[in-house]
Amino acid sequence: MTEMTIVKGLQSEINVPLSPEPVWVQVEKDLQDMTVAMVTAAGVHRKQDKKFNLAGDHTFREIPNDTPTSELMVTHGGYDNADANKDINCMFPLDRLQEMVEEGLINAAANTHFGFMGGGGDQVKLKEETGPAIVEILKNDGVDAVVLTAG
Amino acid sequence: MIVQRAIESAGIPTILIAALPPIARHYGTPRAVAPLVPMGANLGEPNNYEKQRNVLRDTLRQLMVIDSPVSIVALPYRYIEGEEAS
Repeated sequence: MTEMTIVKGLQSEINVPLSPEPVWVQVEKDLQDMTVAMVTAAGVHRKQDKKFNLAGDHTFREIPNDTPTSELMVTHGGYDNADANKDINCMFPLDRLQEMVEEGLINAAANTHFGFMGGGGDQVKLKEETGPAIVEILKNDGVDAVVLTAG
Repeated sequence: MIVQRAIESAGIPTILIAALPPIARHYGTPRAVAPLVPMGANLGEPNNYEKQRNVLRDTLRQLMVIDSPVSIVALPYRYIEGEEAS
C-alpha cells in the first residue's frame, strides 16, 4: 500500500475543531417493549428541591415519574426559560411521555428522571461524577432508552 | 452531550432533542433530532400538546431508525415566536 504520510508528525497550521470519538450502542429492543427515562440539561427540578447554582453547577436532581408537572420548575442561567416555566413540557415532556405509554408506543416511563444544568459548571465532574451517578440509577431502574433535551 | 455520551457508553441507547444541532454534532451526540426551535422550547411552544406529542413520538421513532453515530435528523416542526403555530 502507498505510504500516504510524507512528513511524519506534520501538523496543520489551520485550527481544526476536534470532535470526540463516537459512542454508540445498538438498540436491541422494540420500542413498545422499552422503559424510557428522560434526562434534561435544562435545569429542571422539583420546586421543593434545592435550586441549581447559576454560576455553575454539576449536580443533578432526581425527578420521580409521578411528580405532577405543576411541581416542576427551571433554574438555569444560560437560556430564556420563560416558556419552560409556563409549560415545563416545552423542555421536559413528562406529561407527553405518559401519553406515549397510554398510546402503547413505549412500554413504560422510568421510575426516575433527571435534571441538571448543562452548558456550564465543572465539565470534568459532569463527565466523571454526574454522568456515572445518573447511569447507576438508570441501570438499577431497568431503563432501556433515554430521551434527552439540551441546547 | 457529555451526559448523553456517558449514558450511551454505559450501554443504554440515547437520543437528544436538540435546539442547536451544530453544537450537538461538535460534542459527538450519538443520536439527535432537531426541530426548528429556540433553545428553551425544544418541543415547541408552551401548551401546544399536539406538537409536543409529535416531536416526542418522532424522537422515539428515530431512536429505532438512526443507524450510525453522530446522526442528527431534522424534524418537520417549528416554533418561531410571533408566528402562527405550525
